[in-house]
Amino acid sequence: MAEPRGCALQVENLSVSLGGHAILRNAGLVLQDGRTMAIIGQSGCGKTTLLKAIAGLLPVDSGRITVAGRPIDSLPPRARSAVYLYQEPLLFPHLDVFENVAFGLRIRGIAGAELQQRVRPMLEQLDLAALAKRRPQALSGGQRQRVAFGRALIIEPALLLLDEPFSNLDPEARMGMQTLFKTVAGAHGIASIFVTHDVKEALLIGDAFGLLRGGQLHVYRDRAGFLADPASGVSREAEFWRQVRSTEAEAPRQPER
Amino acid sequence: MQRTLAGLLSLSLIVPVALLVVLSLTRYWIFPDIFPAQWQIEQWQRLFQGGSDLVPATMCSIGIATGVALTSTALAFPASRGICRLRRRGALLTLAHLPYAASPVVLGASLLYVFLRLHLADSVAGVMLAQFVFAFAYGIILLSSFWNTDVESLIGVAATLGARPVQVWLRVLVPRALPLLGICLFQTFLISWFDYALVLLVGGGLVDTLTIRLFQYFEAGDARLAATCALLLMAPPLLGLALNQRLLTAGLLFQEIEHDG
Repeated sequence: MAEPRGCALQVENLSVSLGGHAILRNAGLVLQDGRTMAIIGQSGCGKTTLLKAIAGLLPVDSGRITVAGRPIDSLPPRARSAVYLYQEPLLFPHLDVFENVAFGLRIRGIAGAELQQRVRPMLEQLDLAALAKRRPQALSGGQRQRVAFGRALIIEPALLLLDEPFSNLDPEARMGMQTLFKTVAGAHGIASIFVTHDVKEALLIGDAFGLLRGGQLHVYRDRAGFLADPASGVSREAEFWRQVRSTEAEAPRQPER
Repeated sequence: MQRTLAGLLSLSLIVPVALLVVLSLTRYWIFPDIFPAQWQIEQWQRLFQGGSDLVPATMCSIGIATGVALTSTALAFPASRGICRLRRRGALLTLAHLPYAASPVVLGASLLYVFLRLHLADSVAGVMLAQFVFAFAYGIILLSSFWNTDVESLIGVAATLGARPVQVWLRVLVPRALPLLGICLFQTFLISWFDYALVLLVGGGLVDTLTIRLFQYFEAGDARLAATCALLLMAPPLLGLALNQRLLTAGLLFQEIEHDG
């Protein structure tokens, strides 16, 4: 297959088995530079497996993965330029916020003034400057996710792989992180795959859409296709809210005391 | 009631140590005298001036125990990860208990045959190797508790951020495991420090450690030297215990805050 122009990620016929069970079967997708593909699916459908296989954290049975035009199938995770963000922020507990964000730069031998010049703006951008000396244990869930996000962005990877990163946050923090993600990922022009089981989150975050079901990935041609597909759950969600509104409208109002 | 118990416990800890201190500072203390008739600090003076037999024995014990603790901890840490990643890790971890199932005398006698053939008997290296068998097994058992899915995920995070395996070990795993590694170092140090049977069997009387000295003084009926030697034997463990306690407390607090957060 010819490599599409401006392609950040191309996955072809990716199959993964775990413990003898096929988890992913012939998955394929193409993601353009700077875009975010939201992939939805229920628990256990293979979302995490897909991301881990792309990141090189799981062995694959077959298939081809290309990041920024470079085949990465045989490369170790550190050489793939694809950062995986877990559902839990998983910060390094022995490092403070500054050092967590600086981790990827330090291991590349960047130190001193250059390190400061790169980390400080990132902390500012993510509203973490005041927390630079705090340990992860002293941060809220949302703050931890921001640190994890900054730690990933600072090394300017070709690809971000986000595994339901906001699912453990309270609704307010979650909404804030969704907006922040859109803004920052857009500003850095980093392509990303965002898996979630929340249709609303997928619609808010995604530029492109996929559905994983029973280990098979279906990528939608466009947003309209995603919205129209009954399997995506969008119509179910819309119907739920329509019923809520209709019930609210029909309910007799209690007289005010 | 609690105060009485605490007092009794404190006394049971303090009295034996105080008795050793008094004995080490005594010239004559003969029954039925309640207090020593004559005091002296000759043993301690000789020790600090380098004229005592205890000095080389102390140095030998420190050298052997430090070497055994460092090598067994350094090797048990990656080895424990290797074992924990295997499907049959349960069986291998059970195997690690075997040195403790057999008595050190039995194991020492068995090892002696091998060490004689390898020309390792009657040497410091032989004693260290024999003690390493116990300390390494202990290290594996202790450090295997460190590996869990969270740690494996941290390894994944570091790897996707670009860390090479050696960087993952030095920048993530070792700092993360520091409290547990401290405990392992201390415990393996003690395994070697207090060992008598293996030093006697494998060292063949040529390796002169504090435990060997202590038994020699007891056999010779020299209570003053035995007391000085016993106090020396107690000193590093007590120091280590204080440090270890700090590390242990730090480690526990660490986990507590993490769960709360």
